[in-house]
Amino acid sequence: MQTEAQAHAGTGGGFSRYFSRDMLLQYGVVWAFALLLILGFIAYPRLFALQNLQNILSQAAPLGIVAVAMTFVIISGGFDLSVAAIFALGAVVFAGHADGLGLWGAAGAVLLISVICGVINGFIITKMKVNPFVATLGTGSIFGGGAFLYSNSAPQVPDNFDFGILGTERFLGWPISIWILLAVFVIGAFVLARTVYGRSLYALGGNEEAARLSGISVDLIRGSAYVLTAVCAGLGGMILSSRLGVGQADMGGSLALDAIAVVVIGGTSLLGGEGAVWRTAIGLLIIATLTNVFDSLAINTNVQQVVKGVIVIFAVALDLYARRVRR
Amino acid sequence: MTQAEARISPPRAGAAEALPAFAARGITKRYGGTLALDHIDLTLAAGQIHALVGENGAGKSTFLGALAGRVVPSEGEITVFGQPHVFGNPREARRLGIGTIYQELTIIPRLSAVANVFLGQPLSRAAILSEAAMRREFHDLCLRFDVSIRPDAIAGTLSTADQQMLEIMRGVRSGAELLLFDEPTTSLAPPEREGLFRVMRQLREQGKTMVLVSHNLEEVLALADTITVFRDGKLARSAPRADWTKATMVHAMVGHEVEEYRRVARAARPAGAAPLLTVKGVTLPGACEDISFSLQPGEILGIGGLVGSGRSSLLRALAGVEPKSRGEMIIEGHGTPWPARPRQSMRAGLALVPEDRKAQGLVLSMRAMDNIVMSNMGRVMRAGILSDSTIASASRQIAREFGYAEHRIGTIVRHLSGGNQQKVLLGKARFSDPKILMVDEPTRGIDIGAKDEIMSTLRALADQGMGIIVVSSDLEEVIQISDRILVMSHGRLVDEIDQSKGPATVSDILNSAFGVDKNAN
Repeated sequence: MQTEAQAHAGTGGGFSRYFSRDMLLQYGVVWAFALLLILGFIAYPRLFALQNLQNILSQAAPLGIVAVAMTFVIISGGFDLSVAAIFALGAVVFAGHADGLGLWGAAGAVLLISVICGVINGFIITKMKVNPFVATLGTGSIFGGGAFLYSNSAPQVPDNFDFGILGTERFLGWPISIWILLAVFVIGAFVLARTVYGRSLYALGGNEEAARLSGISVDLIRGSAYVLTAVCAGLGGMILSSRLGVGQADMGGSLALDAIAVVVIGGTSLLGGEGAVWRTAIGLLIIATLTNVFDSLAINTNVQQVVKGVIVIFAVALDLYARRVRR
Repeated sequence: MTQAEARISPPRAGAAEALPAFAARGITKRYGGTLALDHIDLTLAAGQIHALVGENGAGKSTFLGALAGRVVPSEGEITVFGQPHVFGNPREARRLGIGTIYQELTIIPRLSAVANVFLGQPLSRAAILSEAAMRREFHDLCLRFDVSIRPDAIAGTLSTADQQMLEIMRGVRSGAELLLFDEPTTSLAPPEREGLFRVMRQLREQGKTMVLVSHNLEEVLALADTITVFRDGKLARSAPRADWTKATMVHAMVGHEVEEYRRVARAARPAGAAPLLTVKGVTLPGACEDISFSLQPGEILGIGGLVGSGRSSLLRALAGVEPKSRGEMIIEGHGTPWPARPRQSMRAGLALVPEDRKAQGLVLSMRAMDNIVMSNMGRVMRAGILSDSTIASASRQIAREFGYAEHRIGTIVRHLSGGNQQKVLLGKARFSDPKILMVDEPTRGIDIGAKDEIMSTLRALADQGMGIIVVSSDLEEVIQISDRILVMSHGRLVDEIDQSKGPATVSDILNSAFGVDKNAN
């Protein structure tokens, strides 16, 4: 009953509607980013220099690509911790085969392996009914181990002269990796918001039983999201190895948690069913800008770690608070 | 409204009784610009059962929420047994002697029945839980309510009705002096309702005070000492039971006269038409056994029976939600493979409106229009793309049909009232354009206005040639809407009542369900 009354208030229209507490909370992450840009500019005037902007974005590309797919998984009510391992696998396989199979062949191999990893995740989660957290923790260990076994724990340095194209070459003046990042975001946003597949992911994350009773093939939809994260992780791994000129089995690092953090900072709910790709874009920009400004101020990376942790917790707490007051 | 305490004095006299159970002064609650409660003054005597009635959105649940300590009023104060109420703090409310039984279950599914009843207030000696004592008390409670629930049963595996009983037992045993019941009977079958009413009367004998929010006016008249009607956030009238009739209550609720339980008009159907749906030998181990029936186009078939008789399982089996079910299905003369998945059933032309709209029916985080089109998104897709404008215009059409306010088509479903949520849910099933619509509990927990609208929409759909199957715990509703009634008991079909020769009565259905009369041998 009181929710009914609130709905009235919410659709009240008029000027105050756009400046209500709801709006402030719902788009809080945008205001936070704007504030960060202003403070960042004061602290580091070169923030908006073209060179610096390109630097920020190309560094953020691998993480951003993975984060888009992670948005899909999280909205479907899941979680994927195995992306760091698949990322590393992608890097070593791409670097390891760049000489033998050529760039396209190596990329095809990475795509194939990523899809297989994603299908395995999807199968374990939907058919064996293992909780996504546990399932991808387990497969992450398997895939990660696979990356070390494949590379014999040695850095893969290809002789192929063109290996660096993906990570360093430019197109229309901007690095290719930025174009790829942009494309993944645009396609991701479109698919999630404007296709039956995207809508089904929201439904699944919001209420699995209702989705099932609506005739949505929940297992197929849920499983496919893990294939997407795997493919994006493989792609991210290729870009990073190309930029560094080497593929190493420990390249994944904290990628899984970073990607989840980016999604969550943007305001996509970890509970599933709510969120958007544009939110992930803002989350990525916040983290990338912060890193850039901190680096320019020569702030210790350990301190950066602490600050980022605080931001993640603050973002989730804000999301939960917004939910409470809107209810 | 002090007239409430004036007339009916509790059976016992004493100093404690002189103190009202609670006295509310000027209670006002604003949500944004909307007044949910508008300066409510209400004093209620101790030792009575008080009913709060009103349409959805009238303010009764918000008022109950303020009493329970869940809602913080914008203005006003409440004293409980003479002590000032600290709002927004359920724990403080409990200290004041207030116990609340919520409509939404707060059962923890993985704990046992006993553990749920003693949740938060376990019996212990020297910090060690005394299982035996809790089991003994649980057993006593079951006897009092006349229900049999296995103490070790995992709560999540129990029926909704049994879970509701656990919830009620928890509230009753907490020793609260003022018990608040928020629509406690919506998922209970008649015998269980009786059990609850008996216990409420016992509690009244023991001098406890109870406040009951209910949509069921018969139940209110049978039980309450004082009845208070809310309308549009204001207190319409508060008076002793003797001063009320069902008609005066309805009048006070809606502010104008409403026909009482009018039978929904039905159009003549073509005689001898081929059946739309025939099912044979539907069996779901543990729920339904060997059920056969057929449904004519334009017919509304009601299924009566008690909770747990297999009514809902039958619908779920037809909807392809129960993969273990089997049977034969013939649609418009063509044999159809038995549906093993919801999608298959929907392709065959069936649609299910599940009983629990929040858990099974709606995605609460999505907008009304997204929920409506969910059952057939392909229909609003243009070149692989979904656009909000196509979704809105398609779902507006459905909304109109069910009397759902069109300007709320973009509202997040979580923010809608029960009646509006139910309309969205029905609209969603309708959107898949079924030949056969199966509705489980079409009007649970919604107000009279919405109920009326839903009933006449179902009739209108039938008149367009759709076949409709309705399951409801509210047997009057089944009688009111159905052309024909099937009665189920213990998973079997035990009777069929044709209403074309005159309406059945609730006791006809119950007699069949209990095996009294013609089916006893």
